[in-house]
Amino acid sequence: MRKKIVVLLAALIIVLSYFTIVSATKAFRFASELPASLSEMEDSVRIVLITQELDTPFWNKVGKGAIQQAKKENVELEVWGSYGNNEDDFLKKMEIAIHSKVNGIIVQGLDTDEFKELTKIKAAFYGIPVITVANDVPVEESLRKTYVGSDQFFAGQMVADQLIKEMGAAGEVIILRDEVQAYYQKERIAGIQNVLDNYPEVNIIIRGTEGTNEQVISTTQQLMNEAPRATAFIAVNANYAGPMIQEIGRRTQVEPYHIYTFDDGVESTVLLEQGKLDGILEQKPEEMGRGSVKWLVEWISGKTVPLNSDGYLTETNMLTSDGETQ
Amino acid sequence: MTTIQRKIWLLVSVMLLIMGIIWMMLTYYNQQTQEQTNTILQRYLRMNEVTIASQKMITDLNNFLLDPTEFHKVQIEKSIQTIEEVQQDVAKLRNEENAFAVTNYIHLIDSLVETTQRSILFSEEQELEGSTNEFNEANRISMYISEMTLSILERELKTYNRFYREIIQQSEELKKLGIWILLLVTAILLLATYWFSLSITRPVHQLTKAANVLAKGRFDEKIKVESNDEIAFLAQTFDEMRININDLILEIQQKAQLEHELQQSKLLLKDSQLKSLQSQINPHFLFNTLNTLSKKAYLDGAEETSDLLVSVAGLLRYNLKRIDRSVTLYEEVLVLYQYMEIQKARFADRLHFKANIDETCLHVNIPGLTLQPIIENAVIHAIEPEENGGTISVRIYRDGSWIIVEIEDSGKGITQEKIELLLNGQIDSNEGHSTGIGFQNVVKRLHLFYGMDNLVSIKSEVGTGTKVIIQIPETREEISDEAIDRG
Repeated sequence: MRKKIVVLLAALIIVLSYFTIVSATKAFRFASELPASLSEMEDSVRIVLITQELDTPFWNKVGKGAIQQAKKENVELEVWGSYGNNEDDFLKKMEIAIHSKVNGIIVQGLDTDEFKELTKIKAAFYGIPVITVANDVPVEESLRKTYVGSDQFFAGQMVADQLIKEMGAAGEVIILRDEVQAYYQKERIAGIQNVLDNYPEVNIIIRGTEGTNEQVISTTQQLMNEAPRATAFIAVNANYAGPMIQEIGRRTQVEPYHIYTFDDGVESTVLLEQGKLDGILEQKPEEMGRGSVKWLVEWISGKTVPLNSDGYLTETNMLTSDGETQ
Repeated sequence: MTTIQRKIWLLVSVMLLIMGIIWMMLTYYNQQTQEQTNTILQRYLRMNEVTIASQKMITDLNNFLLDPTEFHKVQIEKSIQTIEEVQQDVAKLRNEENAFAVTNYIHLIDSLVETTQRSILFSEEQELEGSTNEFNEANRISMYISEMTLSILERELKTYNRFYREIIQQSEELKKLGIWILLLVTAILLLATYWFSLSITRPVHQLTKAANVLAKGRFDEKIKVESNDEIAFLAQTFDEMRININDLILEIQQKAQLEHELQQSKLLLKDSQLKSLQSQINPHFLFNTLNTLSKKAYLDGAEETSDLLVSVAGLLRYNLKRIDRSVTLYEEVLVLYQYMEIQKARFADRLHFKANIDETCLHVNIPGLTLQPIIENAVIHAIEPEENGGTISVRIYRDGSWIIVEIEDSGKGITQEKIELLLNGQIDSNEGHSTGIGFQNVVKRLHLFYGMDNLVSIKSEVGTGTKVIIQIPETREEISDEAIDRG
């Protein structure tokens, strides 16, 4: 009886000690380290990259490139912006960045008066350098330090060249652009026109549209009614390629049409892979990101002053549905 | 020696120590967690302070612009001071995760202050449009600050999310730990108390058992208690008491036995003296008469009769004197011869007597009238009933430290059963004995005299005779002699 009691208690103690130890290790395991606090104000270089189109494949790549370069240069960089072309939010972010007295702003150019006022007056007032990336705004209107991105005029030419190559020297071409044209769209169209003007047989129809999907669809509808014999489409704003193709596909087969756009649209790559697009103009978003940070840091550190106000151009090439690159 | 008190103290202090350690650990840990939580709460409070301060500043600025008095100027300067203080506090909140945002935040405050000051300047210079513009901008910045506060708080929550969850988890785990520790300590305490109480009660049980044994009168069992406290001391003392009692009892028993033996020998002596007095009325008269008869017979020429009478007188005298004291074997042998002479006169040719005696053995002391009753027995049982008479032989010789006396007759013998009865004193007939002393009396007196048993043995075969053997130790303890003398 006595032995039983002792054995029972001993077993109980062993079991309880096991649970106690397990519980204690859980309870006293030191909590994950809190982020180390920085007591001193290190005046590291702070750069903000602001875009209107966060979370699109194109701008993700720009952001990725910029962050890589920022790490390399040992500067702090954050990507800010608005989603889905929300202009107000975008401008607010610009303003916050200026008031926050960042050391430099890399921004997707926006061809509006408010934007120009912000860059020309506010940023200049605080002495903050602004670099446009991917989409440019002319220097005399924005006082930007430089532009890093594709030569949009040349890009337009490349698209037109490809179009002629596939369509032939005669036909009707529909070009879809924004109602209020951004500077980069003007450049692109100028490039396209520059090529197509050499072919008198080629007829160009340029039409602007509002930004919503419904508007794009109805504009496409109108265009197809007005010019039923059109064989080629170019979406200068790459985001319009999707709804446009959708409308064409609703009416007839997409296959016979020659449809081109640029790679900075949300669906561009997907549509090309599906074979609905005949070609997209491929740019180098990562290189843009990297380049913009690099030049901005050079300006801030005084290595290269002033920067080339014509811009630092990145490569472009044509990507067709059969996988060719030029 | 660990005393029971010390045991109790030890148990209690160890328990107190364990409890204390646990309590201290838990308190320390709680404090740690609380400090962490406080730090985090402070962060949030500080950030909130920024929003409040910036909003207050805008209100003050508005008041000033509407009513540019000295009072409002002071107010707004005060709020500028406040916000700058808060700004310094916020600067301390920078860490790896939020450095960028907080730096922006601090600069935003700077911008706010600058804009406000510009607005005041414009107002003082009566440039209404400029001051209103700056006020609007300040208002916007203040809004941005509020928004940024929220976004930084959100980010903080994200950063610290895991940390908070861990704190919650740990506090829950701590609750569980508390229960486990409580159970564990309870179990250990139970076991310890069990052992502890056993260490007290076991010796008490053993002691109780020992006391029971003693109470039943068994004093020869050692009291064993496995312990090293007061109980052990008690047990030891108890054991000593037991030994003492045991010794005392043994002593009392010995004394009682001695007393008993003394009493017996006294009784025997009294018995024999009484018997001799009863049987021999006026022996002195008889002795004197026998001597006179002897002289008369001698004078009448009957010399043989005269000798016989002398023998009878000698025997009588010996009988009177020697019954209560020791004599030498030599004297006994003399009386033996005198007795045989008388018997020869009685039985003439029927009695053959042979004696083979080692003279060197005759100095030993023996109680008086030891041999004569045995010889008389032999005459009564071996010669009297036989028509052809018989032979009685006496042999005395040495065997190591023993003197052996053998008395043999040629009678019918006796059965083994009867021998046993004789030696154990269950039959004793002394009828027909001249001295009134029987065989049994001889055996007892020898036992008392030498303090030894089995000195007398009987060998007999039916039809061939009986042999009585008496062993006498050559040296004898003196105490027994005194005991006899006292009687």
